[in-house]
Amino acid sequence: MSSGAATIRRAAVTDPTHRTESASQSRIRTVGAGKRYGDFQVFRDVDLEVGAREVVALVGPSGCGKTTLLRCIDGLLPISDGEILIEGARVTEPRAGVAMVFQHFGLFPWKTVFDNVAYGLRLAGAAKADIAEKVPHFINMVGLKGFEKVYPYQMSGGMQQRCGLARALAVEPKVLLMDEPFAAVDAQTREILQLELLSIWEMRPTTMLFVTHSIEEAVLMGDRVVVLKGRPSTVHEVIEVDLPHPRTRETLTLPRFAELREIVWNTLKDEARQAEFELEKGR
Amino acid sequence: MATGESWRIRYLPPAISLIAGAALWQWVGSQTSAAFLSTFSATVARLVALTVSGEVVTALAESMTLFFTGLVIAILIAVPLGVMLARFRVLRVASETYIMMLYATPMAALIPFILSLMGFGFTPKVVVVVLFAMFPILYNTIEGARSVKPELIEVARSYRSSEWGLWRDVLIPYTLPFALTGIRQGIGRGLVGMIAAEFYLSASGIGRLITVSERDFDTAGVLASIIIISILGAALMAVGRRLENHFAAWRGLGR
Repeated sequence: MSSGAATIRRAAVTDPTHRTESASQSRIRTVGAGKRYGDFQVFRDVDLEVGAREVVALVGPSGCGKTTLLRCIDGLLPISDGEILIEGARVTEPRAGVAMVFQHFGLFPWKTVFDNVAYGLRLAGAAKADIAEKVPHFINMVGLKGFEKVYPYQMSGGMQQRCGLARALAVEPKVLLMDEPFAAVDAQTREILQLELLSIWEMRPTTMLFVTHSIEEAVLMGDRVVVLKGRPSTVHEVIEVDLPHPRTRETLTLPRFAELREIVWNTLKDEARQAEFELEKGR
Repeated sequence: MATGESWRIRYLPPAISLIAGAALWQWVGSQTSAAFLSTFSATVARLVALTVSGEVVTALAESMTLFFTGLVIAILIAVPLGVMLARFRVLRVASETYIMMLYATPMAALIPFILSLMGFGFTPKVVVVVLFAMFPILYNTIEGARSVKPELIEVARSYRSSEWGLWRDVLIPYTLPFALTGIRQGIGRGLVGMIAAEFYLSASGIGRLITVSERDFDTAGVLASIIIISILGAALMAVGRRLENHFAAWRGLGR
Protein backbone atom coordinates (compact mmCIF):
# COMPACT_ATOMS: atom_id res chain seq x y z
CA MET A 1 0.00 0.00 0.00
CA SER A 2 2.82 2.38 0.83
CA SER A 3 4.19 2.27 -2.68
CA GLY A 4 0.79 3.17 -4.07
CA ALA A 5 0.55 6.14 -1.75
CA ALA A 6 4.02 7.26 -2.82
CA THR A 7 2.97 7.22 -6.44
CA ILE A 8 -0.02 9.39 -5.71
CA ARG A 9 2.06 11.81 -3.68
CA ARG A 10 4.69 12.15 -6.34
CA ALA A 11 2.01 12.62 -8.94
CA ALA A 12 0.29 15.26 -6.85
CA VAL A 13 3.49 17.25 -7.10
CA THR A 14 4.08 16.77 -10.82
CA ASP A 15 0.49 17.03 -11.94
CA PRO A 16 -0.19 20.78 -11.47
CA THR A 17 2.87 21.74 -13.55
CA HIS A 18 1.68 19.39 -16.16
CA ARG A 19 -1.74 21.04 -16.27
CA THR A 20 -0.65 24.67 -16.39
CA GLU A 21 1.80 23.98 -19.18
CA SER A 22 -0.81 22.31 -21.28
CA ALA A 23 -3.32 25.07 -20.66
CA SER A 24 -0.94 27.83 -21.71
CA GLN A 25 -0.65 26.81 -25.34
CA SER A 26 -2.62 24.46 -27.54
CA ARG A 27 -0.75 22.45 -30.13
CA ILE A 28 -3.85 21.08 -31.80
CA ARG A 29 -6.99 23.16 -32.13
CA THR A 30 -10.08 22.38 -34.12
CA VAL A 31 -12.75 25.02 -34.51
CA GLY A 32 -16.17 23.94 -35.71
CA ALA A 33 -14.53 21.17 -37.70
CA GLY A 34 -16.89 19.19 -39.91
CA LYS A 35 -16.44 16.50 -42.55
CA ARG A 36 -18.91 15.61 -45.25
CA TYR A 37 -18.81 13.06 -48.04
CA GLY A 38 -21.47 14.38 -50.40
CA ASP A 39 -24.66 14.40 -48.36
CA PHE A 40 -23.21 12.22 -45.65
CA GLN A 41 -22.02 14.23 -42.68
CA VAL A 42 -19.43 12.26 -40.71
CA PHE A 43 -18.87 14.76 -37.88
CA ARG A 44 -19.71 18.41 -37.30
CA ASP A 45 -18.87 21.29 -34.99
CA VAL A 46 -15.92 19.56 -33.41
CA ASP A 47 -14.11 21.93 -31.07
CA LEU A 48 -11.05 20.38 -29.59
CA GLU A 49 -7.89 21.64 -27.98
CA VAL A 50 -4.85 19.62 -27.06
CA GLY A 51 -2.05 21.23 -25.07
CA ALA A 52 1.67 20.87 -25.60
CA ARG A 53 2.19 18.13 -23.03
CA GLU A 54 -1.27 16.73 -23.03
CA VAL A 55 -2.66 13.39 -24.03
CA VAL A 56 -6.22 13.41 -25.25
CA ALA A 57 -7.99 10.14 -25.88
CA LEU A 58 -10.73 10.15 -28.47
CA VAL A 59 -13.42 7.51 -28.08
CA GLY A 60 -16.72 6.93 -29.76
CA PRO A 61 -18.80 4.24 -31.39
CA SER A 62 -17.65 2.55 -34.59
CA GLY A 63 -18.24 4.75 -37.57
CA CYS A 64 -18.40 7.96 -35.52
CA GLY A 65 -15.55 9.37 -37.55
CA LYS A 66 -12.82 9.49 -34.94
CA THR A 67 -10.26 8.04 -37.33
CA THR A 68 -11.48 10.39 -40.06
CA LEU A 69 -10.99 13.33 -37.68
CA LEU A 70 -7.47 12.13 -36.93
CA ARG A 71 -6.70 11.92 -40.65
CA CYS A 72 -8.00 15.44 -41.12
CA ILE A 73 -5.73 16.63 -38.30
CA ASP A 74 -2.77 14.89 -39.96
CA GLY A 75 -3.66 16.68 -43.19
CA LEU A 76 -4.34 13.45 -45.09
CA LEU A 77 -7.96 14.44 -45.64
CA PRO A 78 -9.38 17.93 -46.12
CA ILE A 79 -12.12 19.02 -43.75
CA SER A 80 -15.37 20.39 -45.12
CA ASP A 81 -16.18 23.01 -42.50
CA GLY A 82 -14.36 24.93 -39.81
CA GLU A 83 -10.64 24.79 -39.35
CA ILE A 84 -7.87 22.70 -37.91
CA LEU A 85 -4.84 24.45 -36.51
CA ILE A 86 -1.54 22.99 -35.44
CA GLU A 87 0.59 25.43 -33.52
CA GLY A 88 -1.68 28.14 -34.83
CA ALA A 89 -1.19 27.24 -38.50
CA ARG A 90 -4.02 25.93 -40.64
CA VAL A 91 -3.62 22.32 -41.71
CA THR A 92 -4.02 21.83 -45.43
CA GLU A 93 -1.54 19.01 -45.99
CA PRO A 94 0.62 16.76 -43.80
CA ARG A 95 2.91 18.92 -41.72
CA ALA A 96 6.44 18.48 -40.43
CA GLY A 97 6.45 17.88 -36.69
CA VAL A 98 3.32 15.76 -36.82
CA ALA A 99 3.64 11.99 -36.93
CA MET A 100 0.99 9.32 -37.07
CA VAL A 101 1.02 5.76 -35.81
CA PHE A 102 -1.34 3.62 -37.82
CA GLN A 103 -3.64 0.82 -36.77
CA HIS A 104 -2.42 -1.21 -39.73
CA PHE A 105 1.23 -0.44 -38.76
CA GLY A 106 1.94 0.79 -42.29
CA LEU A 107 5.43 -0.69 -42.41
CA PHE A 108 7.11 -1.14 -45.76
CA PRO A 109 7.50 -4.90 -46.11
CA TRP A 110 10.59 -4.59 -48.32
CA LYS A 111 12.43 -2.44 -45.79
CA THR A 112 14.21 -3.72 -42.70
CA VAL A 113 13.34 -2.44 -39.24
CA PHE A 114 16.24 -0.02 -39.52
CA ASP A 115 15.12 1.35 -42.87
CA ASN A 116 11.50 1.58 -41.77
CA VAL A 117 12.46 3.57 -38.70
CA ALA A 118 14.77 5.75 -40.80
CA TYR A 119 12.02 6.44 -43.34
CA GLY A 120 10.66 9.66 -41.87
CA LEU A 121 14.14 11.00 -41.11
CA ARG A 122 15.34 10.32 -44.65
CA LEU A 123 12.32 12.04 -46.17
CA ALA A 124 12.95 14.99 -43.88
CA GLY A 125 16.44 15.18 -45.35
CA ALA A 126 18.32 14.22 -42.18
CA ALA A 127 22.10 13.85 -42.46
CA LYS A 128 23.55 10.34 -42.64
CA ALA A 129 25.34 10.73 -39.34
CA ASP A 130 22.11 11.92 -37.76
CA ILE A 131 20.27 8.85 -39.03
CA ALA A 132 23.06 6.53 -37.90
CA GLU A 133 22.77 7.97 -34.41
CA LYS A 134 19.02 8.43 -33.99
CA VAL A 135 17.64 5.30 -35.60
CA PRO A 136 19.37 2.83 -33.23
CA HIS A 137 18.41 5.07 -30.33
CA PHE A 138 14.69 4.85 -31.11
CA ILE A 139 14.90 1.17 -32.04
CA ASN A 140 16.37 0.69 -28.61
CA MET A 141 13.69 2.78 -26.98
CA VAL A 142 10.87 0.60 -28.29
CA GLY A 143 12.74 -2.55 -27.34
CA LEU A 144 13.70 -3.76 -30.81
CA LYS A 145 17.46 -3.77 -30.28
CA GLY A 146 18.97 -6.64 -32.25
CA PHE A 147 16.14 -6.63 -34.80
CA GLU A 148 17.57 -3.87 -37.01
CA LYS A 149 18.05 -6.12 -40.03
CA VAL A 150 14.81 -8.04 -39.67
CA TYR A 151 11.91 -7.61 -42.11
CA PRO A 152 8.36 -6.90 -40.92
CA TYR A 153 7.01 -10.26 -42.06
CA GLN A 154 9.46 -11.96 -39.73
CA MET A 155 7.99 -10.22 -36.69
CA SER A 156 4.83 -10.49 -34.60
CA GLY A 157 2.15 -7.81 -34.74
CA GLY A 158 3.32 -6.31 -31.47
CA MET A 159 6.88 -6.02 -32.72
CA GLN A 160 5.68 -4.50 -35.96
CA GLN A 161 3.83 -1.81 -34.08
CA ARG A 162 6.91 -1.15 -31.94
CA CYS A 163 8.66 -0.50 -35.23
CA GLY A 164 5.81 1.76 -36.36
CA LEU A 165 6.07 3.66 -33.11
CA ALA A 166 9.85 4.03 -33.44
CA ARG A 167 9.38 5.40 -36.96
CA ALA A 168 7.01 8.06 -35.64
CA LEU A 169 9.18 8.89 -32.62
CA ALA A 170 12.32 9.11 -34.76
CA VAL A 171 11.19 12.34 -36.42
CA GLU A 172 10.81 13.75 -32.88
CA PRO A 173 7.32 15.04 -33.55
CA LYS A 174 5.65 17.80 -31.59
CA VAL A 175 2.34 16.12 -32.21
CA LEU A 176 1.83 12.39 -32.13
CA LEU A 177 -1.38 11.07 -33.66
CA MET A 178 -2.28 7.55 -32.64
CA ASP A 179 -4.89 5.79 -34.75
CA GLU A 180 -6.02 2.82 -32.65
CA PRO A 181 -2.38 1.77 -32.55
CA PHE A 182 -2.87 -1.34 -30.44
CA ALA A 183 -6.21 -2.52 -31.83
CA ALA A 184 -4.59 -5.13 -34.06
CA VAL A 185 -2.48 -6.83 -31.38
CA ASP A 186 -3.51 -9.34 -28.76
CA ALA A 187 -4.69 -8.23 -25.31
CA GLN A 188 -1.49 -9.03 -23.41
CA THR A 189 0.75 -7.40 -25.97
CA ARG A 190 -1.55 -4.39 -25.96
CA GLU A 191 -1.18 -3.94 -22.23
CA ILE A 192 2.61 -4.19 -22.45
CA LEU A 193 2.71 -1.70 -25.32
CA GLN A 194 0.40 0.73 -23.52
CA LEU A 195 2.62 0.79 -20.46
CA GLU A 196 5.78 1.11 -22.53
CA LEU A 197 4.27 3.96 -24.52
CA LEU A 198 3.39 5.66 -21.24
CA SER A 199 6.94 5.36 -19.96
CA ILE A 200 8.33 6.64 -23.27
CA TRP A 201 5.89 9.52 -23.06
CA GLU A 202 7.05 10.33 -19.52
CA MET A 203 10.63 10.50 -20.84
CA ARG A 204 9.73 12.92 -23.58
CA PRO A 205 6.22 14.27 -23.19
CA THR A 206 4.60 15.57 -26.36
CA THR A 207 1.14 16.34 -27.58
CA MET A 208 -0.69 13.13 -28.21
CA LEU A 209 -4.11 12.52 -29.66
CA PHE A 210 -5.03 8.92 -29.13
CA VAL A 211 -7.95 7.35 -30.96
CA THR A 212 -9.11 4.14 -29.38
CA HIS A 213 -11.96 1.70 -29.12
CA SER A 214 -11.02 0.67 -25.64
CA ILE A 215 -12.41 2.64 -22.72
CA GLU A 216 -9.71 1.29 -20.42
CA GLU A 217 -7.02 2.40 -22.81
CA ALA A 218 -8.60 5.85 -23.11
CA VAL A 219 -8.66 6.34 -19.33
CA LEU A 220 -5.17 4.92 -18.86
CA MET A 221 -3.54 7.02 -21.57
CA GLY A 222 -5.53 10.24 -21.56
CA ASP A 223 -5.39 13.40 -19.49
CA ARG A 224 -8.82 13.93 -20.94
CA VAL A 225 -11.20 11.60 -22.70
CA VAL A 226 -13.20 13.16 -25.48
CA VAL A 227 -16.36 11.28 -26.40
CA LEU A 228 -17.62 11.62 -29.96
CA LYS A 229 -21.24 10.62 -30.37
CA GLY A 230 -24.36 11.08 -32.44
CA ARG A 231 -25.21 11.03 -36.14
CA PRO A 232 -23.48 13.07 -37.42
CA SER A 233 -21.19 12.85 -34.46
CA THR A 234 -19.81 15.70 -32.45
CA VAL A 235 -18.05 16.15 -29.12
CA HIS A 236 -20.55 14.79 -26.66
CA GLU A 237 -18.58 14.98 -23.50
CA VAL A 238 -15.10 15.70 -22.22
CA ILE A 239 -14.01 13.79 -19.14
CA GLU A 240 -11.03 15.04 -17.16
CA VAL A 241 -8.88 12.16 -16.09
CA ASP A 242 -7.44 13.20 -12.75
CA LEU A 243 -5.26 10.15 -12.37
CA PRO A 244 -1.71 10.75 -11.20
CA HIS A 245 1.34 10.71 -13.44
CA PRO A 246 3.37 8.74 -14.17
CA ARG A 247 0.76 6.24 -15.20
CA THR A 248 1.93 2.72 -14.60
CA ARG A 249 0.50 -0.71 -14.09
CA GLU A 250 -0.53 0.42 -10.63
CA THR A 251 -2.80 3.04 -12.13
CA LEU A 252 -5.05 0.21 -13.29
CA THR A 253 -5.61 -0.82 -9.69
CA LEU A 254 -6.64 2.61 -8.38
CA PRO A 255 -10.29 2.98 -7.35
CA ARG A 256 -10.40 6.26 -9.26
CA PHE A 257 -9.42 4.40 -12.42
CA ALA A 258 -12.43 2.15 -12.06
CA GLU A 259 -14.69 5.13 -11.38
CA LEU A 260 -13.51 7.00 -14.44
CA ARG A 261 -13.91 3.90 -16.54
CA GLU A 262 -17.52 3.68 -15.37
CA ILE A 263 -18.10 7.37 -16.13
CA VAL A 264 -16.84 6.99 -19.69
CA TRP A 265 -18.78 3.80 -20.08
CA ASN A 266 -21.98 5.49 -18.91
CA THR A 267 -21.63 8.26 -21.48
CA LEU A 268 -21.44 5.65 -24.17
CA LYS A 269 -23.71 2.87 -22.98
CA ASP A 270 -27.00 4.37 -24.17
CA GLU A 271 -25.59 4.33 -27.65
CA ALA A 272 -27.13 1.49 -29.58
CA ARG A 273 -23.72 0.30 -30.69
CA GLN A 274 -22.44 -0.32 -27.21
CA ALA A 275 -21.90 -3.95 -28.03
CA GLU A 276 -19.01 -2.92 -30.22
CA PHE A 277 -17.06 -1.57 -27.30
CA GLU A 278 -14.45 -3.46 -25.47
CA LEU A 279 -14.95 -2.66 -21.84
CA GLU A 280 -12.83 -5.57 -20.75
CA LYS A 281 -14.46 -5.56 -17.33
CA GLY A 282 -13.01 -8.94 -16.60
CA ARG A 283 -9.55 -7.60 -15.84
CA MET B 1 19.88 -40.65 -45.30
CA ALA B 2 17.37 -37.90 -45.97
CA THR B 3 19.76 -35.95 -48.19
CA GLY B 4 20.48 -39.04 -50.31
CA GLU B 5 16.77 -39.60 -50.63
CA SER B 6 16.02 -36.05 -51.76
CA TRP B 7 18.99 -36.13 -54.14
CA ARG B 8 17.58 -39.24 -55.75
CA ILE B 9 14.14 -37.66 -56.12
CA ARG B 10 15.59 -34.43 -57.38
CA TYR B 11 17.96 -35.68 -60.04
CA LEU B 12 17.24 -39.32 -60.82
CA PRO B 13 13.80 -39.08 -62.53
CA PRO B 14 14.79 -36.18 -64.83
CA ALA B 15 18.05 -37.96 -65.72
CA ILE B 16 16.23 -41.18 -66.58
CA SER B 17 13.59 -39.28 -68.56
CA LEU B 18 16.29 -37.41 -70.53
CA ILE B 19 18.16 -40.61 -71.33
CA ALA B 20 14.92 -42.29 -72.38
CA GLY B 21 14.04 -39.30 -74.59
CA ALA B 22 17.46 -39.38 -76.26
CA ALA B 23 17.18 -43.14 -76.81
CA LEU B 24 13.74 -42.76 -78.36
CA TRP B 25 15.01 -39.96 -80.58
CA GLN B 26 17.99 -42.08 -81.61
CA TRP B 27 15.72 -45.00 -82.51
CA VAL B 28 13.11 -42.94 -84.42
CA GLY B 29 15.92 -41.05 -86.18
CA SER B 30 17.60 -44.25 -87.29
CA GLN B 31 14.29 -45.49 -88.78
CA THR B 32 13.73 -42.28 -90.78
CA SER B 33 15.48 -40.62 -93.70
CA ALA B 34 18.21 -38.24 -92.52
CA ALA B 35 16.55 -35.45 -94.54
CA PHE B 36 13.49 -35.60 -92.25
CA LEU B 37 14.98 -36.36 -88.87
CA SER B 38 18.58 -36.88 -87.89
CA THR B 39 19.50 -39.12 -85.01
CA PHE B 40 20.34 -37.86 -81.56
CA SER B 41 23.99 -38.75 -81.93
CA ALA B 42 24.23 -37.04 -85.34
CA THR B 43 22.64 -33.89 -83.87
CA VAL B 44 25.05 -33.85 -80.94
CA ALA B 45 27.98 -34.40 -83.30
CA ARG B 46 26.80 -31.49 -85.46
CA LEU B 47 26.36 -29.33 -82.35
CA VAL B 48 29.93 -30.07 -81.31
CA ALA B 49 31.20 -29.38 -84.85
CA LEU B 50 29.33 -26.06 -85.03
CA THR B 51 30.69 -25.10 -81.64
CA VAL B 52 34.26 -26.00 -82.52
CA SER B 53 34.09 -24.09 -85.83
CA GLY B 54 32.96 -21.02 -83.88
CA GLU B 55 29.70 -20.63 -85.82
CA VAL B 56 27.60 -21.14 -82.69
CA VAL B 57 29.51 -18.51 -80.79
CA THR B 58 29.14 -15.93 -83.57
CA ALA B 59 25.45 -16.71 -84.03
CA LEU B 60 24.79 -16.62 -80.29
CA ALA B 61 26.58 -13.30 -79.92
CA GLU B 62 24.47 -11.79 -82.69
CA SER B 63 21.23 -13.19 -81.36
CA MET B 64 21.93 -12.24 -77.77
CA THR B 65 22.84 -8.69 -78.71
CA LEU B 66 19.50 -8.42 -80.48
CA PHE B 67 17.59 -10.14 -77.71
CA PHE B 68 19.02 -8.19 -74.78
CA THR B 69 18.80 -4.85 -76.57
CA GLY B 70 15.13 -5.54 -77.21
CA LEU B 71 14.45 -6.89 -73.72
CA VAL B 72 16.13 -3.99 -71.94
CA ILE B 73 14.24 -1.45 -74.05
CA ALA B 74 11.00 -3.33 -73.40
CA ILE B 75 11.67 -3.25 -69.63
CA LEU B 76 12.63 0.42 -69.70
CA ILE B 77 9.42 1.29 -71.50
CA ALA B 78 6.98 -1.11 -69.87
CA VAL B 79 7.87 -0.80 -66.17
CA PRO B 80 7.68 3.01 -65.79
CA LEU B 81 4.72 3.15 -68.17
CA GLY B 82 2.96 0.43 -66.21
CA VAL B 83 3.43 2.19 -62.87
CA MET B 84 2.31 5.46 -64.41
CA LEU B 85 -0.80 3.90 -65.94
CA ALA B 86 -1.65 2.30 -62.61
CA ARG B 87 -1.15 5.54 -60.73
CA PHE B 88 -3.12 7.82 -63.04
CA ARG B 89 -6.53 6.38 -63.65
CA VAL B 90 -7.39 8.62 -66.59
CA LEU B 91 -4.36 7.45 -68.55
CA ARG B 92 -5.13 3.85 -67.76
CA VAL B 93 -8.76 4.02 -68.82
CA ALA B 94 -7.79 5.86 -71.98
CA SER B 95 -5.12 3.36 -73.02
CA GLU B 96 -6.59 0.11 -71.68
CA THR B 97 -8.25 -0.92 -74.95
CA TYR B 98 -5.06 -0.46 -76.95
CA ILE B 99 -3.00 -2.41 -74.47
CA MET B 100 -5.46 -5.29 -74.35
CA MET B 101 -5.64 -5.38 -78.15
CA LEU B 102 -1.87 -5.30 -78.58
CA TYR B 103 -1.39 -7.87 -75.83
CA ALA B 104 -3.79 -10.19 -77.64
CA THR B 105 -2.42 -9.54 -81.13
CA PRO B 106 0.03 -12.17 -82.42
CA MET B 107 3.01 -9.89 -82.93
CA ALA B 108 4.26 -11.98 -85.86
CA ALA B 109 1.39 -10.45 -87.84
CA LEU B 110 3.06 -7.06 -87.50
CA ILE B 111 6.40 -8.15 -88.97
CA PRO B 112 5.54 -7.49 -92.67
CA PHE B 113 4.29 -4.06 -91.63
CA ILE B 114 7.51 -3.32 -89.75
CA LEU B 115 9.49 -4.56 -92.74
CA SER B 116 7.76 -2.18 -95.16
CA LEU B 117 8.03 0.65 -92.65
CA MET B 118 11.62 0.24 -91.50
CA GLY B 119 13.25 -2.11 -93.98
CA PHE B 120 16.09 -4.45 -93.05
CA GLY B 121 18.77 -3.73 -90.47
CA PHE B 122 19.25 -4.01 -86.75
CA THR B 123 16.66 -1.44 -85.63
CA PRO B 124 13.50 -3.08 -87.06
CA LYS B 125 14.60 -6.39 -85.51
CA VAL B 126 14.95 -4.73 -82.13
CA VAL B 127 11.49 -3.26 -82.60
CA VAL B 128 10.12 -6.75 -83.16
CA VAL B 129 11.75 -8.09 -79.99
CA VAL B 130 10.47 -5.08 -78.02
CA LEU B 131 6.94 -5.61 -79.30
CA PHE B 132 7.02 -9.29 -78.43
CA ALA B 133 8.50 -8.83 -74.96
CA MET B 134 6.84 -5.62 -73.84
CA PHE B 135 3.20 -6.45 -73.31
CA PRO B 136 3.42 -9.16 -70.65
CA ILE B 137 5.77 -6.84 -68.71
CA LEU B 138 3.43 -3.90 -69.11
CA TYR B 139 0.36 -5.90 -68.21
CA ASN B 140 1.87 -7.45 -65.07
CA THR B 141 3.36 -4.13 -63.95
CA ILE B 142 -0.02 -2.40 -64.23
CA GLU B 143 -1.71 -5.19 -62.28
CA GLY B 144 1.01 -5.07 -59.63
CA ALA B 145 1.12 -1.30 -59.25
CA ARG B 146 -2.67 -1.19 -59.03
CA SER B 147 -2.60 -3.50 -56.05
CA VAL B 148 -0.28 -1.27 -54.00
CA LYS B 149 -1.89 -0.98 -50.60
CA PRO B 150 -3.53 2.45 -50.18
CA GLU B 151 -2.38 2.33 -46.55
CA LEU B 152 1.24 2.47 -47.64
CA ILE B 153 0.58 5.41 -49.94
CA GLU B 154 -1.11 7.08 -46.98
CA VAL B 155 1.98 6.48 -44.81
CA ALA B 156 4.15 8.07 -47.49
CA ARG B 157 1.82 11.07 -47.69
CA SER B 158 1.74 11.38 -43.91
CA TYR B 159 5.53 11.56 -43.90
CA ARG B 160 5.38 14.26 -46.58
CA SER B 161 6.83 12.19 -49.39
CA SER B 162 7.26 13.82 -52.78
CA GLU B 163 5.79 12.10 -55.84
CA TRP B 164 9.27 10.87 -56.77
CA GLY B 165 9.81 9.64 -53.22
CA LEU B 166 6.54 7.77 -53.42
CA TRP B 167 7.75 6.02 -56.58
CA ARG B 168 11.17 5.27 -55.09
CA ASP B 169 10.04 4.06 -51.66
CA VAL B 170 6.62 2.56 -52.34
CA LEU B 171 5.43 2.10 -55.91
CA ILE B 172 8.56 0.65 -57.53
CA PRO B 173 9.60 -1.72 -54.71
CA TYR B 174 6.03 -2.94 -54.40
CA THR B 175 5.64 -3.45 -58.14
CA LEU B 176 9.05 -5.02 -58.77
CA PRO B 177 8.09 -8.67 -58.09
CA PHE B 178 5.05 -8.30 -60.36
CA ALA B 179 7.17 -6.67 -63.06
CA LEU B 180 9.63 -9.56 -62.77
CA THR B 181 6.83 -12.06 -63.35
CA GLY B 182 6.11 -10.08 -66.50
CA ILE B 183 9.79 -10.00 -67.41
CA ARG B 184 10.00 -13.76 -67.08
CA GLN B 185 7.08 -14.10 -69.50
CA GLY B 186 8.65 -11.37 -71.64
CA ILE B 187 11.87 -13.41 -71.90
CA GLY B 188 9.96 -16.31 -73.46
CA ARG B 189 8.09 -14.07 -75.83
CA GLY B 190 11.19 -12.04 -76.64
CA LEU B 191 13.00 -15.21 -77.76
CA VAL B 192 10.14 -15.94 -80.13
CA GLY B 193 10.43 -12.38 -81.39
CA MET B 194 14.17 -12.75 -81.81
CA ILE B 195 13.86 -15.87 -83.97
CA ALA B 196 10.96 -14.40 -85.94
CA ALA B 197 12.95 -11.24 -86.63
CA GLU B 198 15.97 -13.26 -87.68
CA PHE B 199 13.80 -15.35 -90.01
CA TYR B 200 11.72 -12.68 -91.66
CA LEU B 201 13.88 -9.58 -91.50
CA SER B 202 17.61 -9.57 -92.27
CA ALA B 203 18.87 -13.06 -91.43
CA SER B 204 21.29 -13.19 -88.53
CA GLY B 205 22.33 -15.19 -85.49
CA ILE B 206 20.68 -18.46 -84.56
CA GLY B 207 17.78 -17.71 -86.90
CA ARG B 208 20.18 -17.57 -89.83
CA LEU B 209 21.90 -20.75 -88.64
CA ILE B 210 18.54 -22.54 -88.80
CA THR B 211 17.61 -21.07 -92.20
CA VAL B 212 20.99 -21.94 -93.73
CA SER B 213 21.03 -25.48 -92.31
CA GLU B 214 17.51 -26.03 -93.60
CA ARG B 215 18.44 -24.78 -97.09
CA ASP B 216 21.36 -27.24 -97.11
CA PHE B 217 19.05 -30.08 -95.96
CA ASP B 218 21.27 -30.24 -92.87
CA THR B 219 18.57 -31.56 -90.50
CA ALA B 220 21.14 -32.22 -87.76
CA GLY B 221 22.22 -28.58 -88.00
CA VAL B 222 18.59 -27.39 -87.70
CA LEU B 223 17.98 -29.56 -84.67
CA ALA B 224 21.30 -28.54 -83.09
CA SER B 225 20.32 -24.87 -83.46
CA ILE B 226 16.91 -25.53 -81.94
CA ILE B 227 18.54 -27.26 -78.98
CA ILE B 228 20.72 -24.20 -78.46
CA ILE B 229 17.65 -21.95 -78.30
CA SER B 230 15.83 -24.34 -75.98
CA ILE B 231 18.73 -24.47 -73.53
CA LEU B 232 19.11 -20.70 -73.75
CA GLY B 233 15.41 -20.10 -73.10
CA ALA B 234 15.36 -22.46 -70.13
CA ALA B 235 18.47 -20.82 -68.65
CA LEU B 236 17.07 -17.29 -69.06
CA MET B 237 13.77 -18.33 -67.50
CA ALA B 238 15.62 -19.81 -64.54
CA VAL B 239 17.54 -16.57 -64.08
CA GLY B 240 14.23 -14.69 -64.26
CA ARG B 241 12.72 -16.90 -61.59
CA ARG B 242 15.75 -16.45 -59.36
CA LEU B 243 15.44 -12.67 -59.63
CA GLU B 244 11.73 -12.84 -59.00
CA ASN B 245 12.19 -14.84 -55.81
CA HIS B 246 14.98 -12.56 -54.67
CA PHE B 247 12.89 -9.41 -54.99
CA ALA B 248 9.75 -11.03 -53.67
CA ALA B 249 11.40 -12.21 -50.45
CA TRP B 250 9.62 -9.52 -48.46
CA ARG B 251 6.30 -11.08 -49.34
CA GLY B 252 7.31 -13.80 -46.92
CA LEU B 253 7.26 -16.45 -49.63
CA GLY B 254 11.02 -16.68 -49.72
CA ARG B 255 11.26 -18.64 -46.51
